[in-house]
Amino acid sequence: MRAARQRRSVVLLRPVPGTSVIHRLWAGTKLIVVFAVSLVLAFYPGWAAIALTAALVAVTVWLARIPRGAVPSVPWWLWLLVLLGCVTATLGGGEPVLHLWSADLAVGGLLKFLRFTALSLVLIALSALVSWTTNVADVAPAVATLGRPFRKLRIPVDDWAVALALALRAFPMLMDEFRLLNAARRLRPRPVLPDGRTTRRRWSSELIDLLAAGITVALRRADEMGDAITARGGTGQISAAPSRPRGADWVALGICAVLCVLAVYLEIRGVGGV
Amino acid sequence: MAHAAVMGALSSALAILSVIVPFAGGLSLLVTVPMGLLGYRYRLRVLLAATFAACTVSFLIAGISGFMVVLNCAYVGGMTGIIKRRRGGIAMVLAASVVAGTALGLWIVGVLLVLHRLRTVTFEAITANFDGVMAVMSQFEPFRQSAQDTRAIFDLALQYWPVLMVAYSIFTIVLVSLVGWWALSRVLDRLRGIPDVHKLDAPAEVGPVGPVPVALTGARFRYPDADHDALRPLTMTVDAGEHVAITGANGSGKTTLMLLLSGRQPTSGTITRPGGVGLGQLGGTAVVMQHPESQVLGSRVADDVVWGLPPGTRTDVGTLLGEVGLSGMEERDTGGLSGGELQRLAVAGALARQPSMLIADEITSMVDQRGRDGLLDVLSGLAERHRMALVQITHYNSETQIAHRTVNLSDSVDNMVMVEDAAAPAPTVIQTSHSSEPVLQLAGVGHEYFRGTPWAKTALDDVDFTVNEGDGLLIHGGNGSGKSTLAWIMAGLITPSTGTCLVGGQPAAECVGQVAIAFQAARLQLLSSRVDLEVASAAGFSPHDTDRVVAALATVGLDGSLARRRVDQLSGGQMRRVVIASLLARSPKALILDEPLAGLDAVSRRGLLRLLTDLRRNTGLTLVVISHDFAGLEELCPRILHLDKGTQLPVAAAAEGAL
Repeated sequence: MRAARQRRSVVLLRPVPGTSVIHRLWAGTKLIVVFAVSLVLAFYPGWAAIALTAALVAVTVWLARIPRGAVPSVPWWLWLLVLLGCVTATLGGGEPVLHLWSADLAVGGLLKFLRFTALSLVLIALSALVSWTTNVADVAPAVATLGRPFRKLRIPVDDWAVALALALRAFPMLMDEFRLLNAARRLRPRPVLPDGRTTRRRWSSELIDLLAAGITVALRRADEMGDAITARGGTGQISAAPSRPRGADWVALGICAVLCVLAVYLEIRGVGGV
Repeated sequence: MAHAAVMGALSSALAILSVIVPFAGGLSLLVTVPMGLLGYRYRLRVLLAATFAACTVSFLIAGISGFMVVLNCAYVGGMTGIIKRRRGGIAMVLAASVVAGTALGLWIVGVLLVLHRLRTVTFEAITANFDGVMAVMSQFEPFRQSAQDTRAIFDLALQYWPVLMVAYSIFTIVLVSLVGWWALSRVLDRLRGIPDVHKLDAPAEVGPVGPVPVALTGARFRYPDADHDALRPLTMTVDAGEHVAITGANGSGKTTLMLLLSGRQPTSGTITRPGGVGLGQLGGTAVVMQHPESQVLGSRVADDVVWGLPPGTRTDVGTLLGEVGLSGMEERDTGGLSGGELQRLAVAGALARQPSMLIADEITSMVDQRGRDGLLDVLSGLAERHRMALVQITHYNSETQIAHRTVNLSDSVDNMVMVEDAAAPAPTVIQTSHSSEPVLQLAGVGHEYFRGTPWAKTALDDVDFTVNEGDGLLIHGGNGSGKSTLAWIMAGLITPSTGTCLVGGQPAAECVGQVAIAFQAARLQLLSSRVDLEVASAAGFSPHDTDRVVAALATVGLDGSLARRRVDQLSGGQMRRVVIASLLARSPKALILDEPLAGLDAVSRRGLLRLLTDLRRNTGLTLVVISHDFAGLEELCPRILHLDKGTQLPVAAAAEGAL
């Protein structure tokens, strides 16, 4: 835990400072793109689709001018795990076989492992891009707009959007409170307990204490927010500006649609297929 | 609704912690608890809304994996919560979780059948790794046979993967349900007896809105099950365009009066108005409350102003923000605002409803001096400009002067202790030549949050000072001056990016706990359920050691009878004292107090100050106080250090600035 604290800390729910074409896109567009691409990858997770998505990610990163520092540092054991996976997968062998000078290297297993890893990576990168370029305040209104068709199915989309907006508002406050709770715990001496109580019991009672304190604080916060909502006469508008796609969004959606169709076509034709 | 959102946020916060913090995977099991609580207390709709919110938040942060964790936990947590509400037992949980696990397993199998390519990719990757391991094992003679056997079992498993999948999902769901059930039961036990701080109720009324002029005639209020009146019979009127200040000691019924004005029925007496209260309606009553952070509901300034207005209402956000002195801040995130700015924003949100009556309930009590001045500027003249009644509840003396008249709810004037404001005193020379030992030595301390990322933010820069044994140091600065960061560094909770912070010659980060720190949010520091357990666990002795508990409580002037009291039944001032008591019981090298006076009323403030002054004088306690307030701190902290935007103001310059 202590070593982890020294690492580059993770920044949550805050877009990378600055503005770009991507930053200015409607939040709904980005959500649709991520959803569509994930769907394509779920159905056709071949090399062609992965490569196209990776290209999409690369271009977006370039357009949005995301610096390298935005990427959270990866713990060493994760690198080790991936490396280990590569090694074991290579040892697994299989077609095709590479002829490197005099040695024959069967990289079939490695390729399969790499494809799985690449698939997970592009999916993570895609959703990270959304949070790097989107102001959280734009998400809930966009969800409300996107969810409009579901109202006909009697799904309370507007209520959900309000809940989402409030959750996004409350999230940073709760994270601060967790930070404090953790600090308070660290300041304490190791608990002294009478004999007969095992470490497990001590651990669990400490856990419940923390959890109860956290929930108490969250409940109090919820009560106060509830009061604030009542004082404003209930729920209603959640955004001052209208939330809908603009010109650039249609272009982005068009590009995404072309990419998806292309990926599906390539996959069905069997390029790098399964 | 708010509960749904906050619990949703809580579960996603837990889930995200479990995903991003290494080795905290076990935390994800606990995500079930907040969801279970929702399932226990509210209807399914609330649970669904919370699930949706939590899933989206965690998807935004942690991608698909966070989403799946939350979804799973909401599924299991909601189920246990509902069983708990229906008074089911552990057998019912087992049965339900087996059913739920089967359902989930079948669903996963169905999905994987449809997504056969994804399945193939995943299985191939697993097979490749497995083959590799087996290939290595086969190289060694003693393992060759077992490798072949394992290989055969693995193939069999792959062949019957749907069965395996269902079995696995039943197993996990049952396990998670049992852990969730256990934690939920314990937490619910703990939560019993927590006071509901929820105050306002939406009045059920029909007809036109018309809250002013309001006339109270002998209005009295007593809470159900209380043995005395929260508000003694009161007769008063508030007219349109009038600015009335309400003062009184804690417990004199200031907040109760606010509740009556915003629509609650008095226990006896009458309240007459021309129309309905219209809480939060256009032309009705608007209320701004104490806590800056919970008042503001939007994530962006402009969104917050219109938050909750009926759809289609047109609002001139720019003008409203200009009126409260926030012009040009429409696009700012509310997360980065200071307390004073948040409260001004809340006033703007109230004004967006063009209220006939605005109630400001102690809106300055959690705000620093500068923010307080700004808020008072906003309030003064508001009543005339908008032709509305402004009821301002306060315990600060200076704040009543901007009102047209003052109503005092306390018994007599003698009893009413008002908080006087103090002007910032000039800082004293920092390097005093004490003969005593240095406790804290800071040299060139600077800190940058999120170092190396695009979000990097410098909080502190090149701070040098020494605190000697028995010193009393006040670290003063406004919002964002880095004073809290400095406190965390001194307590060893943050390792500074540059410079060193030594505690008795050792780096502070290596001796966490030797410098005690009392946070502003005292409740967060009280982890146990009862006072004696809390003191004992924080101080490191057995809770059965009653004498030591009582002695610890006595050092902070608390009666031993409080030892059996539940933490949640303490007042704000008592909570702070309990925290200090448990910290002092470990005889720390120094005690840091972060905003010790925030949120306390006049009497508790004076009591706490006297206690701390006595402690320092009598026991030679080394004290560092972090505060934006000066009132009464001169005696406690003879030395003052000013911080501004992370830099230490030179003594001379700060003195000029203060004049």
